[in-house]
Amino acid sequence: MILEELAFAALAATAVLTAIAALLVRELVHTILWIAIFFVDLAAIYFLLDAPFLGVLQLGVYAGAVTILLLFGIMTTRKRIFSREAATGIGPVPFGLAVVTFIFLVAAIGEFPQGSGTITIYDPSALSANLFNVNGPWLLLLGLIMLAAVTGAIYLVREGRE
Amino acid sequence: MTSLAEIGFVALSSALLAIGLFGILTRRNFILLLIAIEIAMNAAILNFIYFAAFSSGTAGLTGQAIAVVVIGFAATEVAVGLGIVLALNRVKGTINVARATELKL
Repeated sequence: MILEELAFAALAATAVLTAIAALLVRELVHTILWIAIFFVDLAAIYFLLDAPFLGVLQLGVYAGAVTILLLFGIMTTRKRIFSREAATGIGPVPFGLAVVTFIFLVAAIGEFPQGSGTITIYDPSALSANLFNVNGPWLLLLGLIMLAAVTGAIYLVREGRE
Repeated sequence: MTSLAEIGFVALSSALLAIGLFGILTRRNFILLLIAIEIAMNAAILNFIYFAAFSSGTAGLTGQAIAVVVIGFAATEVAVGLGIVLALNRVKGTINVARATELKL
């Protein structure tokens, strides 16, 4: 399937480039724009992998909620939202770690699975049955952690706290 | 029936993890740190969905279910992170993590 291969190559290149751009541009608002493109791009990869439920979830949670939350964080912590970050140089230790990681990745390419695999299509109703029956405890744990996190976040930002 | 080369997905998630790690190590702005963590978490989520897509039966469904839960965890983490950003900005007047040194020995 040459069309899918081409689509994946284009989406993967866009994902890597937008992730790098998001971390390297100096204006934080531009960072948010790049990361929004990155999230939409990953949602497209999920659709390519025949996981439409997760693609929609990625669009709703990441491209929608997380992006707006990050933008809100910038708007509330800066007088001018288009102000630039001070340029931060790349120190020798992070650069060395990046080089070591790259060498490990290149060395591991031989261990990666070779050849092509056929993608399994899952019915969203089967996924929901699995999510609420077999993996129900995980979903309950997620709900409890979310409740605790929201309580903690409200405690952190409330006015008048010493 | 879609068929894709498996090496591409593993390489993509490895690259995204490396980029996220690079961001965590080099950035000092709290919001950029959160974004770097999100990039690394998205690499993990992509791995779950990729291995689910190339598996079959209950194992694949479980992979997708775990991906749903991890996406929820990531959203929660951003909410708490932004709470910390707002609190840090109120106390210190900046969101540079190098300035938050109260807990250092």
